Amino acid sequence: MLETWLWKGAGPRSAHAFADALDALGVRRQSGAGVEYTTFSASLLPEGFAAALELYADLLMRPHLPDDAFESVRALALQELAALEDQPPRKLLTRLRREAFASPHGQPVEGERETLERMTPEALREEFQRRYGARGSILAVAGGVDPDEVIRLAQKHFGAWDGEAPEAPAVRLTKPHSFHLKQDTEQAQIGLFYKDVPPGHYDFYASRLASAVLSGGMSSRLFTELREKRGLVYAVSASPGSVKGFGYLTAYAGTMPDRAKETLRVLQQEVERLAEGVSREELDRAKVGVRAELVLSGESSRARAGALARDLFILDRARGLEEVEAEVMDVTLERINTFLASRPYRDPWIGTLGPEGVTA
Amino acid sequence: MSVLSFREATLPNGLRVIAEINPEAKSVALGYFVRTGSRDELAGEEGISHFLEHMVFKGTERRSAWDVNREFDEMGAKYNAFTNEELTVFYGAVLPEFAPRLLDLLSDLMRPAIREEEFETERKVILEEIALYRDRPHFVLYERAQAAYFGRHPLAKPVLGTPESIARMTRSQMVSYHARRYVPGNMTLAFAGNLDWEEMLTLAEQMTRGWAQGKAPRNHPSFTPKPRKVREPYDKASQAYGVFMAPGYAASAVERYAARVLADVLGDPDNGRLFWRLVDRGLVETATAFHHEFEELGVYMVYVQGDPSNEAEVSQRIAEELQQLESDGVQQGELERAKLKTATSLVFAGETPLSRLFYLGLGYSYTGRYEALDTVRRWVMHFETFHLNELLEQRPFTRALEYWLVPPGDA
Repeated sequence: MLETWLWKGAGPRSAHAFADALDALGVRRQSGAGVEYTTFSASLLPEGFAAALELYADLLMRPHLPDDAFESVRALALQELAALEDQPPRKLLTRLRREAFASPHGQPVEGERETLERMTPEALREEFQRRYGARGSILAVAGGVDPDEVIRLAQKHFGAWDGEAPEAPAVRLTKPHSFHLKQDTEQAQIGLFYKDVPPGHYDFYASRLASAVLSGGMSSRLFTELREKRGLVYAVSASPGSVKGFGYLTAYAGTMPDRAKETLRVLQQEVERLAEGVSREELDRAKVGVRAELVLSGESSRARAGALARDLFILDRARGLEEVEAEVMDVTLERINTFLASRPYRDPWIGTLGPEGVTA
Repeated sequence: MSVLSFREATLPNGLRVIAEINPEAKSVALGYFVRTGSRDELAGEEGISHFLEHMVFKGTERRSAWDVNREFDEMGAKYNAFTNEELTVFYGAVLPEFAPRLLDLLSDLMRPAIREEEFETERKVILEEIALYRDRPHFVLYERAQAAYFGRHPLAKPVLGTPESIARMTRSQMVSYHARRYVPGNMTLAFAGNLDWEEMLTLAEQMTRGWAQGKAPRNHPSFTPKPRKVREPYDKASQAYGVFMAPGYAASAVERYAARVLADVLGDPDNGRLFWRLVDRGLVETATAFHHEFEELGVYMVYVQGDPSNEAEVSQRIAEELQQLESDGVQQGELERAKLKTATSLVFAGETPLSRLFYLGLGYSYTGRYEALDTVRRWVMHFETFHLNELLEQRPFTRALEYWLVPPGDA
């Protein structure tokens, strides 16, 4: 709610004037609350950088948070929450995180109906005071601007910002278990949640490459076994995720209810079969894929800015593409297979959604 | 931007080859743009264009399905394909050193084996894909509204087909559809990024030499929109989903850029007229407008999604906004905003070879011309209010179809 409210006027400008000022610079913007941080991003031509930075300083340091916009902000939040019902995969994966984390990391980004209905402008302003401060915030810039100029402008516009970083909660998990959400959908949704190594861990890139073997390209194991050989699914994937200090792997598949049992069984079997190791060819393909992705994403300045900010948040330092590439290339077959054997993916949290429950 | 150069050639078999070359790019993207889609399907073929797009990846005389997947991944290619009403596109982006290999693979795929066993497996995948989209009400809305708007015109056909049409489809139907539509004269091979033009052209000529030639005509029946309002319940919708469709301009019409800017004035997601009338007031979660272009006609689309209890008021407010836009025209300030936004998004569309490939290939497939992004950007920046107001004199929104998909209890 707070993220939406921030856009309702800031600094000397009303909401409308603020939007016009950004548009006059041709700024394409995106913002959104996540599990651990809220992101405000802007893509624009380099000429407008200084002016845009000043506007974003207003947005983050001097928002009006006006009373008269509060009810529409609440209405939007309630609609966003309700719309989750119409997106079964997202609904399931949201619930899966919530089932796995005992700590606040499992709380849904969309919030809960009761909390949204009870929220008051005063309480939300207090949250703003508590959360929006210089410490704990990150500014990342990529593209055709001079780094010294970036520092100078950041100092100018954000130099007076203070405030403490809110304390990050420690990760706690529940005991692995299964659950089912009943909903009258065409496809049953299946999600698995596995513990994994966190970013910064010695085996982090071994785990990333393992997930690429599972789900990197169309020759990956999940695509081959579930879709190409058996025709069980259209969409199947495994995606690594992380919060500060903790990594996890989520596997997902959607299929018709009468084939859900078999799909769950094959999906789980393929993830857990990683413990037996990967072949040299699989590792080579995974490496090529990860490297190509690095080069291709390096061509988009928006993707670069996002990666730098995330590095700073998770690892407390930003890395160049070459450094990441070197870490990926360092993972040998022996190293990845030792990792997979010693920390096998097993005992997942299992979530399903559909007209009836699914057991493997 | 001055480093960019454009090249084009037509091979003896009729295949057009085009390239926008940027020697400074770190990657190269290439793709086959086949002028075929759901509008070209005969009775009984509903969904065959899209099904064939899947079968293309299932191997050729020289390659098994596994070989295809493995080779793409060995190159670290970012690749995929999509099918719509008018085009089927196969594309990939790789590091420059892999360009010849990617070209060899994609070219080979254009002559797929379509093996019976894989046809049966893939049929199940297509049925899953249809089921997946039925769980997404906004997709169902677009499909149904498009069917209602286009009526008996071929653009009314669903791209995915129906579970029934897919269940009945045979391999021999697909083989004959492929022979009829994937003729070189009906295809464009496009490149963008860091490549050696002479080398690519020579390779393309060698690889496509044996392709049988032929004509692939397309019907353009006349079309007159019938304005009306439709409300339909959908048992998988918990929110209300609405779309307005009104006549716009074709993909080769000079008016199309002005129409895009006009749609942006109305429906820019952060600052359009509908945003302030609807989203800012908390009436809907999303309100956007865009201009969608087909071969011989175009459509303005307004899309909203939100709380079903606000539907009547939202419908009323959109009608008022459309009417006001038509009667009072566009104001200078909002025009400047929308122009700059459109121009900036064109710059970002040019950031990577892959996004340039789409822009290049789609544009050329429709117009047969190369329009540099930079030229279009300057062109857009020259628009005056009268350019947009001229389009409004046609009163497009008085001929709009309004279509709502609502939760069952609310219909």
